[in-house]
Amino acid sequence: MSHIVTIQTQIKDVAALRLATKRLKLAEPVYGTAKLFSSEATGWQVQLPKWRYPVVADIDAGSLAFDNYEGRWGDQVELDRLVQSYAIEKASLEARRMGHTVLEQPLEDGMVKLTIQVGGAS
Amino acid sequence: MSKTIEILVSPQGETRITTFGFSGAGCQEASRFLESALGQRSGERLTADFYQDLQQQERSQVDS
Repeated sequence: MSHIVTIQTQIKDVAALRLATKRLKLAEPVYGTAKLFSSEATGWQVQLPKWRYPVVADIDAGSLAFDNYEGRWGDQVELDRLVQSYAIEKASLEARRMGHTVLEQPLEDGMVKLTIQVGGAS
Repeated sequence: MSKTIEILVSPQGETRITTFGFSGAGCQEASRFLESALGQRSGERLTADFYQDLQQQERSQVDS
């Protein structure tokens, strides 16, 4: 082991976001302007289960706009799941693009481990 | 040792990338494509292996 990097995931790729929604059996992201409670946001909208308003991903900025009223209008866990699924799909896409092999393994604590074999045939 | 990159994705979507089998700064180079693709770097830790590899590389350069 020679170095460890920690990264805060930012949603910046529509293809990976689409794969994440597919993985979670959600409707595909739709581009447009969504009304949140007291504001509007433009970007790729994802409707999470039991959320009153959609989550809106601004791909260029890598930011998310949403209003779940501190959990009353939507469980944070659903959004966390989306971001986790996005990170898995995005990392896998990028690794395969580089010609590496990817092995995915869910862990007991809810984490997902991706093992990338550098230079492996995918 | 084969060159491997391990990514742990937390339930909140934070990722931790660890490299194995690379020498010196090669590990940073190897995982850079993932770092830039995934988002904002919030921390980095170089392990003892990193510095050992670096010292070995410097010794090899002096010897040759």
